[in-house]
Amino acid sequence: MDTATRDKWDKTSKRYDLMVSKGAEKRWEPSKRDLYSHMKGKILFLALGTGLDIALFPVGLDITCIDISPKMLEQAQPRVAAYDGTMVAHCMDVHDMEFDDNSFDQIYTACTFCSVPDPINGLKSLARVLKPGGVMRMFEHTGSTLFPFNLMMNIMTPLSSISGPEMNRKTVDNVRAAGFKVTEVDNVFLDVVKTITANLPK
Amino acid sequence: MEKRFYFVFGDLLSNLVAGGLVGLICAAVFSSSWNMIIAMVVGMALGMLIALIVTVALFLMLFGAMEIMIPNMLTGMVVGMIISMAASMHEVPLLTGLQDGAMVGFIVFIIIYCLQSRMSGKVNLTETGSGE
Ligand SMILES: C[S@@+](CC[C@H](N)C(=O)[O-])C[C@H]1O[C@@H](n2cnc3c(N)ncnc32)[C@H](O)[C@@H]1O
Repeated sequence: MDTATRDKWDKTSKRYDLMVSKGAEKRWEPSKRDLYSHMKGKILFLALGTGLDIALFPVGLDITCIDISPKMLEQAQPRVAAYDGTMVAHCMDVHDMEFDDNSFDQIYTACTFCSVPDPINGLKSLARVLKPGGVMRMFEHTGSTLFPFNLMMNIMTPLSSISGPEMNRKTVDNVRAAGFKVTEVDNVFLDVVKTITANLPK
Repeated sequence: MEKRFYFVFGDLLSNLVAGGLVGLICAAVFSSSWNMIIAMVVGMALGMLIALIVTVALFLMLFGAMEIMIPNMLTGMVVGMIISMAASMHEVPLLTGLQDGAMVGFIVFIIIYCLQSRMSGKVNLTETGSGE
């Protein structure tokens, strides 16, 4: 288990909802709701955090959630319990998941690969547990291809990564590098906030 | 593109406040004793830093994440550069710094919305570069 990442998010857990629930989450709600509307089958939700997104999931599904931070999961517990469907939450590092190969039909995640320290290996682990032909849908913020935004995000990353995410990740490239076929990228804000849909080739 | 009044208002307000404050501070800090190029570079960095602090302290929790931070830092960078350069050539009254800064904030707000209207939606995957 990557204890540095776990401790960082444990520390952030108490103020996480306050930081994001009114601004960012409300802003992103329509795009996230749209992304999650495709949920079906046996689903892995990576990086549950405090469970803010659970309210946006369709009801009646079978969802397994993981997160590296036990304190984030502690905050999420009431939301997990309130979900109208089957939901379990495990404390697990994406690099080190205890699920069998080909366990899930779909994988979803939001705002995760800006903070997973080794994103390509994390994505390869997801590919292992996803069934061949399965789909992964992500809501992520990434670096930008536009100047001067890319410069600004490179400058900000050392600061932002102290207590939270990195701002300049190349997540679409990382998804491809992990062996997925990217089928759709939808820009939500500039080319920075986006949804990514990728398939695992059969 | 964002059309909800609450967020459009937040984007505008945060750019006006960040721009105005950076303009005011740069007008106060820089004078003709500064070399113009050095003033510009220091002003740019100072502007970005002030904008970042204002954004985190006042606006991030209320209005969004990248949608607030990126435009505000651009505003801070441009205002910092322009006002410090002007102040290194001739005195810039504080009120002028405030007004011009807020004006740049407004222009950045418009530019971001124009860019956003062109970029939002599905990306042509054959064109995606390596920056993302
Ligand atoms: C920015 S939060 C996003 C939380 C949630 N998805 C949301 O959108 O509100 C990032 C989350 O990723 C989790 N995380 C970071 N690295 C991880 C890893 N290696 N394995 C599992 N979870 C991880 C953190 O604990 C944190 O809860």
